[in-house]
Amino acid sequence: MEQIVFGIGITALTGALATVAGAAEDTESNIGSQGDPNSQVQLAPQMGFLHRIFNKAVAGEPPAYGLWCCLGAGLAWAFMAMQFNAVLAIVLGSVLAVFVQGVYATTAYLGRTASLSKFGQPVYVDILKSMTTVTMAHAFIAIFATVSLCQLINGALGHPFPLPLLGLVWGIALGAAGSATGNPYYGKERQYQNQKFGAGVPISASGNIVRYAEAGERNSIDNGWFTAKIGGSASGICFGLIVFLELWRTILFDQVGAGWGSIAIGILLILIFTVVDRYIEVWARKNYGPYTEAKEASS
Amino acid sequence: MTAVAAKPAAGAAMNPTAMGVGVILVLILLGICWFVSPAVGLMALIGIIIGGVLIGFGVHFVPVGGAPAAMGQAPGIATGVAMLAAGGGLAGLFGGAWAAASGQDPIVVIITGGVGGGLMMAITCMMVNFVYVFGMGIPAASGKVARDPITGDSQAEYKSQGTEGHGLPFVSFVGGVTGGIFAGAGGTLIYLELLNLYEGALPTLMQLKPEQVVPIAVSMAGMFAVGMFLVNAVLTAYNITGTIEGPHDPKFKRWPRAIVASAVASALCGLAAILIVLPLGPF
Amino acid sequence: MSVKVEVIEGGVPHNKIMIAGIVSTLVCLYLTYLNVLTGTEMFSFFGGLAVVAALIWGSHTIKVLCSYGIGTGVPSAGMIAFGSGVIAMLLATRFDIWAPIAALILAAIIGFILGYVSNNILNMKIPAMVQALTEMAVVGALSLMGFAALMTGGFTFAGLTTGTVNVLGQVLLTQQLSFMGGCLIAVAFLLGAIAIQHPFNACLGPGWKQDRMLMLTAECGFLSMIVAAIMSFAMISAGSALISLVIAIIGWAYTYCQYIILSKRDAAAWLDAKPIPDVEGH
Repeated sequence: MEQIVFGIGITALTGALATVAGAAEDTESNIGSQGDPNSQVQLAPQMGFLHRIFNKAVAGEPPAYGLWCCLGAGLAWAFMAMQFNAVLAIVLGSVLAVFVQGVYATTAYLGRTASLSKFGQPVYVDILKSMTTVTMAHAFIAIFATVSLCQLINGALGHPFPLPLLGLVWGIALGAAGSATGNPYYGKERQYQNQKFGAGVPISASGNIVRYAEAGERNSIDNGWFTAKIGGSASGICFGLIVFLELWRTILFDQVGAGWGSIAIGILLILIFTVVDRYIEVWARKNYGPYTEAKEASS
Repeated sequence: MTAVAAKPAAGAAMNPTAMGVGVILVLILLGICWFVSPAVGLMALIGIIIGGVLIGFGVHFVPVGGAPAAMGQAPGIATGVAMLAAGGGLAGLFGGAWAAASGQDPIVVIITGGVGGGLMMAITCMMVNFVYVFGMGIPAASGKVARDPITGDSQAEYKSQGTEGHGLPFVSFVGGVTGGIFAGAGGTLIYLELLNLYEGALPTLMQLKPEQVVPIAVSMAGMFAVGMFLVNAVLTAYNITGTIEGPHDPKFKRWPRAIVASAVASALCGLAAILIVLPLGPF
Repeated sequence: MSVKVEVIEGGVPHNKIMIAGIVSTLVCLYLTYLNVLTGTEMFSFFGGLAVVAALIWGSHTIKVLCSYGIGTGVPSAGMIAFGSGVIAMLLATRFDIWAPIAALILAAIIGFILGYVSNNILNMKIPAMVQALTEMAVVGALSLMGFAALMTGGFTFAGLTTGTVNVLGQVLLTQQLSFMGGCLIAVAFLLGAIAIQHPFNACLGPGWKQDRMLMLTAECGFLSMIVAAIMSFAMISAGSALISLVIAIIGWAYTYCQYIILSKRDAAAWLDAKPIPDVEGH
């Protein structure tokens, strides 16, 4: 019983850490403009729309966050093997991982923008100077939270995987969850704010991203404020639910029916989320209505 | 010479000769394994091939829209297919590895891995629709079918003008969960086979007690599971050329090619993984 | 709706880079064997230099492959390279002193079959596919071997799975605190996979220049070497790890400054806090 209570307490803590990590990850990837929406930042100069957005083309979010979290976890593991205090080891590991992330961000911006010289897109050194540290700070929160939850899973809950491998697993999952949830919000709502709300971007408008906005010219730092409105929280809840429910169903129900208990609960949870998703989909169809009449619509 | 002109269209065609060569390759690799390690190694290799095929097949179900999805121009999730599938499958592998360490029945371990992957994809797909509907005011619509195959909802009038669709219609959601289940189960199966093999063979190889080799066995099995996962997922990404709406997409019909490709890749990598712990003559 | 990638001519031909890459990587890996001959761990830094050489070769291979428009992103190529390379590398470590050559041969076989599968079974029909996937698997295997040599001082299976721990003054062998036991191979895997695809991904565009991309690859290689050297403090003597760290920092600082200079050379304009320039019609 005490074992289960301890397990539930740790699970709650990891759920909270995961929520923070998810929110910070999405904010960081929007400030730096990473992943699929970044294709628009790349395309805009080619269509003649020069901009001052940070063009951080460092792979997609899952492999990138897989690397930062695995690296942070590996460094923390090495420091702990050298008898460093666990918390200090995780902090140092995260700091060094963030340093690597910052360097990758700067080289990505310089490289992509220099290769777009044919279209006249300048390299803005002030963007590099101001944006890099902001994106590094958010990444630190995400990496630190993820490495901490991996250490809790390995040390307190007794998962067999060593810390670096857990960092890889949860880093990629963090990137996948945050990217899936946050990318459309940044891509459609922020980059194409000038398009009609409530519809996707028509193909004819590709490349025409918003470049003049608050305080004159749009600046990637403001994407942090924007992400906090809903995208960041949604990504945080997404990753937090993933980590929490996965651990919760294992801790509580693993001994029930020799493992079949946690499977049954898992299937039940999948069905609950399916019902919620269907409700959301039907709510949208009913409340937003179709764009055109049913018989007029063409595919 | 531009890129577009240099490459002839890949297309959806099957290449029967190549598929036949693939099947023969799998049989040859199974034969080599039977020759070097008839009982233990062969069972492990068959398990690894099945796991790899599950991953390759499962990734076809996951709805991925790529860069257009990030602008609400195409349905699906706006992430790369290989890494999104990896995220789901690895979350499943995490749960399966835990169940394996608790010493549970192999069937339970594999299903646990599958359920873990399915749960991750279910939560992610639900949150994607949540953001589309409540954050952006856009309902889900598919561009490839007139009616959703599962719910019968008509799609065309809910598709905004100038786009190919957006969000995750219900069939794409179900596809995502199914893909997560298969991928998680496949990855866990590969992990379990390699773990049992290594825990059995490493004590003799390294002259150590069984409980001492557990960290090495877990790490090696885990790393290979991740590696083979990524290889199979990338091969599937090549098969669907990057984006797919889900099981209702016409591109889904290309799955036989991926089964053979995954079988060959998994047999090859699995044989190499098994050979690591076999005595190798003078070495 | 993505950037149109064009096959760019000019610069050093790919085959020259490939041969230079193979030779220098193998030489550097064998130079780490001096550790065994001299009984120290001082020559581990050659493992890091092997990684840099292999990555330079590998990033150019990715450039050749992705120039044909494979339909998926560039990062997938890095993942399949290292996914197939990691298994070849661990199998090769069983071959003692022949490990680097064994890694080359085994990874080439795996990569060749994967290339055949992609081109013919999956019908991708890209001219450079088979050779590119073969090369990338070899690069993956050799880079991982370089990381292993940098972090542990050797590339044999026994060395990678055994570490030492100080218990009450006694030095004992342990499995837990080793390269494989702590799964540091996962860190090496991702370090290499991101470093191999980043240079082409970051320099993508009509203004791609070979020397700028290769300088960026060297910078990514040395950056990975810095963090790997820090991790090696847990497994080799502090002095040897310090040598690796200092060499890595000097190499990184030089290549990073050179990369910035080359970017300045190629950029349309190098502005500090200036407004967006006016373009006709927009």
